[in-house]
Amino acid sequence: MLFENGDRKTIPRHEFWERDINSQPLTSDELERYDRQLGPGALTEAGQRQLRDATVLVSRVGGMGGPAALMMAMAGVGHIIIAHGSTMISADLNRQVLGSEAVLGKPRAAHFAEYLRSMNRFIEVEAIDHEPDDGEARELARRCDLVLSCPPTFEERLRLNQASIDAGIPFIDAAQWGVSGTLMVLKSPRTACLECVYPSVPPFEELFPVVGAISSTIGSLAALEAIKILSGIGEPLWGKMFSYDGYGGIPTVVSLTRNLECRCCQEAVETTGE
Amino acid sequence: MKQPASNMKIHIVLTGRGQTRGDQLPGQLELPENSSVSDALTVLRASLPEGESLPESCLLAVAGTHLGTLHQHEDQQLVDGQELLLIAPMAGG
Repeated sequence: MLFENGDRKTIPRHEFWERDINSQPLTSDELERYDRQLGPGALTEAGQRQLRDATVLVSRVGGMGGPAALMMAMAGVGHIIIAHGSTMISADLNRQVLGSEAVLGKPRAAHFAEYLRSMNRFIEVEAIDHEPDDGEARELARRCDLVLSCPPTFEERLRLNQASIDAGIPFIDAAQWGVSGTLMVLKSPRTACLECVYPSVPPFEELFPVVGAISSTIGSLAALEAIKILSGIGEPLWGKMFSYDGYGGIPTVVSLTRNLECRCCQEAVETTGE
Repeated sequence: MKQPASNMKIHIVLTGRGQTRGDQLPGQLELPENSSVSDALTVLRASLPEGESLPESCLLAVAGTHLGTLHQHEDQQLVDGQELLLIAPMAGG
C-alpha cells in the first residue's frame, strides 16, 4: 500500500465551495430569525444566503444525525434530506433527540422531519423512510451540496462515501461508541476518502453501547463543519479526523493520509483530473 | 530483561471502540533509540494478556499523522517523546 500525506493538509478555504452569492437577499423575517448568528465571528449575510440555498443529505438521523440535522435546520440550511428506516423504540430515547415518547412505535423519518420543520419555517425537509441503496445514494448525492454520514455500519458509510465522491461533493462522517466519537471531513481526491481510512470493512456491531451526550456532541460538531463549508466561514477540518475520547477526556486531531491505491480516489482523480 | 543503554519514551493512547482495553496497555513504552512503529507494536502486542489482541483495523497515527491501519501501515522511525495513537474504528448511528 502506498500512502501520501503532507501538502494536502493546507487547502485554500474556499476551494471546495464556490456558490453564486447573488441570490435573493434575506427577508426581514429571515434576518430576524438569524440575528444571533450574523456578525463578526459567526456568519455573514452572504454566508447565510449560501446556507439557505444549500441541500444536505443526512443519512440516519438517530443519535448523531438527529442533532446534526437539528442544528443545520436551526442554522438555516435551506433543504435537508433525512434518511432513516424503521420505527422508534424505547432504547432510542437515550440519544435520538428528534424523537419523543409520543413517537415510540412510529416511523422515525416522517416524524423527525415534522419536528425539524417545526423548528424553522424557512427551510424544507424531505424524509426518506429507508436507508438508500447504492443507486439511490448516488441519485441523492447528485441533488446535494454535502453528505453527512451517520449510519451504524461501515457498509452504509462507505456507500455514502462513494456516492459523495461520484457527485463531487464534501463528505462528513460522524461516528460514536460508548462515550467517544470521531468526525472526518473529506473531499476526495483532494483529501483522503473513507475507503483510504478503512480499506477493508472493519467488523462492527449494529447494537453497541453509547451515551447520548457524546452522540449530540459529535453530531453538533458535524453540523458545525457542514455550516462552515456551506457558508464559507472558518477553516473546515479538511482531510482530518477529530477524535474525542470521552473516557479519558482526550481530544485529538489526526491528518488523514490518502491511500494512493484507493479505488474510490483513483476513480475521482480520473473524473476530476485533480 | 536487560534494558538497552539508551532508551526513548513513546506515549501510547488507545481510543475508540473498546477503549477500555487501553487499561491493559502501558501508557508509555521504553524502546531502544531508532525503534520504529512496528517495533513499538510488537512490544504492545506482547504486553496484552494471553488471548487478547488489538483489532487489525485500528487506525495508527504518530505525532498527529495517520499511517494506515494496524494491519497495513507505513512504518516509520519513532522519536523520543512522540505519541503513538491507536483508534479502534467506530461506526454507530
